[in-house]
Amino acid sequence: MKYKLYVPYLFILLAMMGLFIFRLGPLFFAGIMSFTDWSMFGSAGFVGLENYIDFLGDETFWKIVGHTLLFSLIFVPSIAFGSLILAVLLNQGVKGTTAFRAMYFAPVITSTVAVGIVWRWIFGADVGMLNFLLRTIGFESPPSWLSDRSLSLLVVAFVFAWKRLGYYMIIYLAGLQDIPKTLYEAARIDGAGHFAIFRKITVPLITPTMFFITIMALVDSFKNFDIIYTMTRGGPGRASTTLAYYIYQHAFELFEMGAASSLSMLLLLLVGGIAVLNFYYKSHWVETQG
Amino acid sequence: MKNYGRIILYIVLILIAIVNVFPFYWMINVSLQPLEAVYADPPEFIAKHPTLDNYKEIFTKYNFLRFTMNSLFISLTAAIGQLFTCSLAGFAFARMKFPGKELLFGLIIATIMVPIEVVIIPEFLLMAKLGWINTYLPMIVPSFLIGTTGVFLMRSFYENVPKELEEAAVVDGANPFAIYWRIFLPVSKASLSALFIISFLINWNAFLRPLIYLNSKHLYTLTLGLISFVGEFSALWNFLLAGAVVSVVPIFTVYLIMQKQFIEGITSTGVKG
Repeated sequence: MKYKLYVPYLFILLAMMGLFIFRLGPLFFAGIMSFTDWSMFGSAGFVGLENYIDFLGDETFWKIVGHTLLFSLIFVPSIAFGSLILAVLLNQGVKGTTAFRAMYFAPVITSTVAVGIVWRWIFGADVGMLNFLLRTIGFESPPSWLSDRSLSLLVVAFVFAWKRLGYYMIIYLAGLQDIPKTLYEAARIDGAGHFAIFRKITVPLITPTMFFITIMALVDSFKNFDIIYTMTRGGPGRASTTLAYYIYQHAFELFEMGAASSLSMLLLLLVGGIAVLNFYYKSHWVETQG
Repeated sequence: MKNYGRIILYIVLILIAIVNVFPFYWMINVSLQPLEAVYADPPEFIAKHPTLDNYKEIFTKYNFLRFTMNSLFISLTAAIGQLFTCSLAGFAFARMKFPGKELLFGLIIATIMVPIEVVIIPEFLLMAKLGWINTYLPMIVPSFLIGTTGVFLMRSFYENVPKELEEAAVVDGANPFAIYWRIFLPVSKASLSALFIISFLINWNAFLRPLIYLNSKHLYTLTLGLISFVGEFSALWNFLLAGAVVSVVPIFTVYLIMQKQFIEGITSTGVKG
C-alpha cells in the first residue's frame, strides 16, 4: 500500500517519543553519568573510570554481584523446571483444568508488594505460619528465615519464583499444545509408558521453549528490586542486597547518581551479555536437540 | 493401574493448588480478624468471629479509598495510552514502507530486555527538571509512550490482516488515519484487550516509580500505601493484609472475567518475544 512519505512517521511518533525520551535517551545519559561524580547536591565533575575502578576493587561490590548471581541460580532452574512440571501436569486433560490454571496463575497477577507482605508473615520468626508448623511437628528452634543472614536471600528468591511460576507455565502450555497429538498417539500405540513419552517426545520438542524461558527467567531474575524492598530491604545487613537494590540505595538513599549510574551500566552489561549469548547459541543448542 | 495414575495426578495438582492459594486464603482470613488473633498460638485457621472492622479502619482512617482511586486512575490512563501508541505504531510497522523502518523497529525490540533500574536515574533527573516530581505524570507518561512489547504484539496482528480490506478502503478514498481507525482498530479488538489488560496490570502493580516519585500521602498508589503500612505499623498484620486484599480483588475480578485475553496476551507477547 502506498502512503505519503511523512505518514508513517506520524503513526510511529508517540512510540518514538517513548523510545527516545524514556529508553535510549536515559540509557545514553546513564552511560555519560557513570563517568561523573554527579550527586543530587553540588556540581558534577568528570572522573573518568573512577566509579568503575572503585566498585571493581570493592569487596562489598563483589559480594553483591555474588548475591545477584545466587538469586538467579535459585530462581532460574526453579522456573525452567518447576513451571514445565506444572504445565505438563495441567496438560493431561484432567477435569477442572481451567480452575487449576487460574489458581496457579493467581500469584502472577498479584502485586509483588502484596506477595512479599504475605510471605513475610509466613516466614516470620515468632508468629510466622511456617515456624508454627515446624514447632508443631517437633522442631524446637526453627530458623528465623528472613532475619537469618544465610537464609534471607534464599527465601526471597524462593518467593519470587513462587510468584513467577504461573507466568512461565502459561508459555510452556502454549509450547506443549504445539506438539502434534499424533506423535503421542503413535507412541502410545507402540506401548510407550508415560515417562518414556515425556522423555522421548515432550522433552526434545519443548527444548526451544525451554531455552527461551531460561533466557527470559534469567533477565527476570535481575529485576528483583520490588521483592527485596518488600521482604528484607536488602538485609539483614547486606545479606540479601542485589545489584538492582544496590542501584536504588546509591541513587535514592545516598543520592550518588554518578556511582549509581556506573552500577546500572554494569547491570546492563550483564543483561546485554545474556542477550548476545542467547542470539549466538540459540540456533546451535536448539537445533541439535530438536 | 491407569486409575491410580489419575488419582496421584489429582493429588499432586491439588497440593500445588494449596501452595498457590494458601497465602491468599490467609490474607483474607487475617483481614477478617482483630490483631490478637494474628498472634494467637495456635493460629486461627478459620476466623471465629469474622468482622469487617479492619476494612472500615483502612478506608476511613488510612485513606485506602484514595489510594485505590489513584491506582485506578494511573493504570487506566497509562493502559489507554498504550493502546493508541502501540496500535498506531504497530499499524505503521506492519503495513507501511518507510526509510529507517527496520532500524527503528530493531531498536524497539533491543530495548525490551532493559530493566527499569538501568534507566530510572536519568528518568528521575528528567522528571525533576520538568517539575513532575510528586505528580501522577511520571507514572503515566512513560507507560503511555513506551510500548516495546505492545508494538510487537500489534504489528504481528496487523501483518496478518488481509490486503483486500485495506485496498477497498483506499479505493473509497479513505485517508491513512481513517483506514487505521475504521478498519484496523476494530478488527484487532482481541489483541487490544490483551494489551490493555497487560499494561493495566503492570501499572496497577508498579512499585519503583511510585516509590521514588510520590511524596504526598494523598497521591499514593495502593502498592505504596501498603508498604507505608509496613513502616509505620510494622506489627499491624490485620490492616496490612486487609490492604493486600483490597489491592488484589479488582485485578482478580478482571482476570476471572477476561481469563482468555490474559492468557492470549502472555502467550503472544511471551512466546515470540
